[in-house]
Amino acid sequence: MSFSLFGKKNRILLKELVKTDFKLRYQGSVLGYMWAVIKPLLMFAILYVVFAKVLRFGDAIPHYPVYLLTGTVLWNFFTECTQQGIHSIEQRGELLRKISFPKYIVVVSATSTAVINVLINLCVVIVFTLINGVMPSLSWLMILPLLLELYIFALGISLLLSSINIKYRDVGNIWDVLMQAMFYAVPIIYPLSMVTETSMLVGKIMMLNPVAQIIQDVRENLITPATITGWELSGPVWGLISVGAVAIVFVVSVLFFKKRSKYFAEEL
Amino acid sequence: MRMNWSEKYLKKMRNEVKERNEDANIAISVKDLYKSFKLPTEKSWGLKQAIFNRLRGIKGYKKQEVLKGISFDIKKGEFLGIVGRNGSGKSTLLKILSEIYLPDKGSVKVNGTLVPFIELGVGFNPELTGRENVYLNGALLGFSNKEMDEMYDEIVRFAELDQFMDQKLKNYSSGMQVRLAFSIAIRARGDILVLDEVLAVGDAAFQEKCNDYFKSLHGNQTVVLVTHSMENVERFCDRAILIEDGKIACDGKPAKVTKEYMKLWD
Repeated sequence: MSFSLFGKKNRILLKELVKTDFKLRYQGSVLGYMWAVIKPLLMFAILYVVFAKVLRFGDAIPHYPVYLLTGTVLWNFFTECTQQGIHSIEQRGELLRKISFPKYIVVVSATSTAVINVLINLCVVIVFTLINGVMPSLSWLMILPLLLELYIFALGISLLLSSINIKYRDVGNIWDVLMQAMFYAVPIIYPLSMVTETSMLVGKIMMLNPVAQIIQDVRENLITPATITGWELSGPVWGLISVGAVAIVFVVSVLFFKKRSKYFAEEL
Repeated sequence: MRMNWSEKYLKKMRNEVKERNEDANIAISVKDLYKSFKLPTEKSWGLKQAIFNRLRGIKGYKKQEVLKGISFDIKKGEFLGIVGRNGSGKSTLLKILSEIYLPDKGSVKVNGTLVPFIELGVGFNPELTGRENVYLNGALLGFSNKEMDEMYDEIVRFAELDQFMDQKLKNYSSGMQVRLAFSIAIRARGDILVLDEVLAVGDAAFQEKCNDYFKSLHGNQTVVLVTHSMENVERFCDRAILIEDGKIACDGKPAKVTKEYMKLWD
């Protein structure tokens, strides 16, 4: 069985599964696909009222609303991707026990709805950015490779944890809790400067998290160079550690998944 | 006396041609297949239990040997029936042929494309229309959209569901669903068809139609059929295999194998 993403049969199957997932996701709702845009906007509205208006977290940051929106959109993408990915193998168990096809297709197709959603949401972010008076610039193009990095990280985690989750269903729950904790450990709702003012070291350690680094990088390139990025805070060596972590997680996960996936049908 | 190089070469060539001709007539070649499963004993699920078991030196599973050295060849165009009691290893064998399970030992060589139907309508989704389900099922079996376009009309005609294809599957009766799934199974253009206990579907008229179809396959299509119906074995198969306790107990003409099968309960 080949592991190639570009095999013709695999591409067709992936396309069919993605199409089905997307078609079914919003079925039976009046607003349908619109929910892909409305939901994150409403979530953002709640955070905005609480943190920008009531707690006044963003007074020091220019364009704080877009800043907040960008952070939540990227964070939602990461959580949606991993949560769908981790449970994908167990959810498609019925299929895997009856038909032989490359198992990674299941994980990739489960995460693809999140990819479609984040692309739609980024369009919304860009509209808001323009409304907020940020001038378009070439640095906006950097968003795409950064988004790719975030996806590779999420896919790596999904491949690894989905194969462990088959035997130990605890993994899915642990991950949910971990994500809740991580939400506060990533500067999404509060600016990173709030942390660095009290402790530089804590700020540096926080930025080792690839998700935090990517969110700050996107903000810097999209909204304002005043963003404190991991690179500025701790230098290129620390910065490369988190990029390297993404690469290592991905490679290890792919190898692990490839090895385990032969036995998925029996273990499910 | 030593052969000179040209004689040696000729002999080698002749052997290769002979082997290739033999290979060309064989659809599936199974050699010395072994398969065992680790069956979890009570409560070995979950992380906590796994750690406990590891610490106490408990394995947490029992090894069950399902296939114990199975070998056979299926010729091209042959209609092979596989029979045996529940739990004798028939389905496991079929799943190994279909590359769903990995054998512990031994090899399976498949010559051509194999279309497995361990169950009918795998991946069928009640929220999709009949048409969408046909294409999804096709993609799962490894057919491209273009190949499915070619098969589609025949599938629908055989299922006799022309006017229902744009309705959601959940609005089909169960008989209609099975008919659609079954039509995909037998209309799928693969070199080898693998069917697990899927013959008894639909009403009497549809049954009749399926029987006629299976008879018409004779000699043109390689089929591997797992069944409990001795009537079907004698009606359709050219050859049958009886599996008992993970080994081949009998291999030969359907009449002989069904007789052996009946003896299991004497």
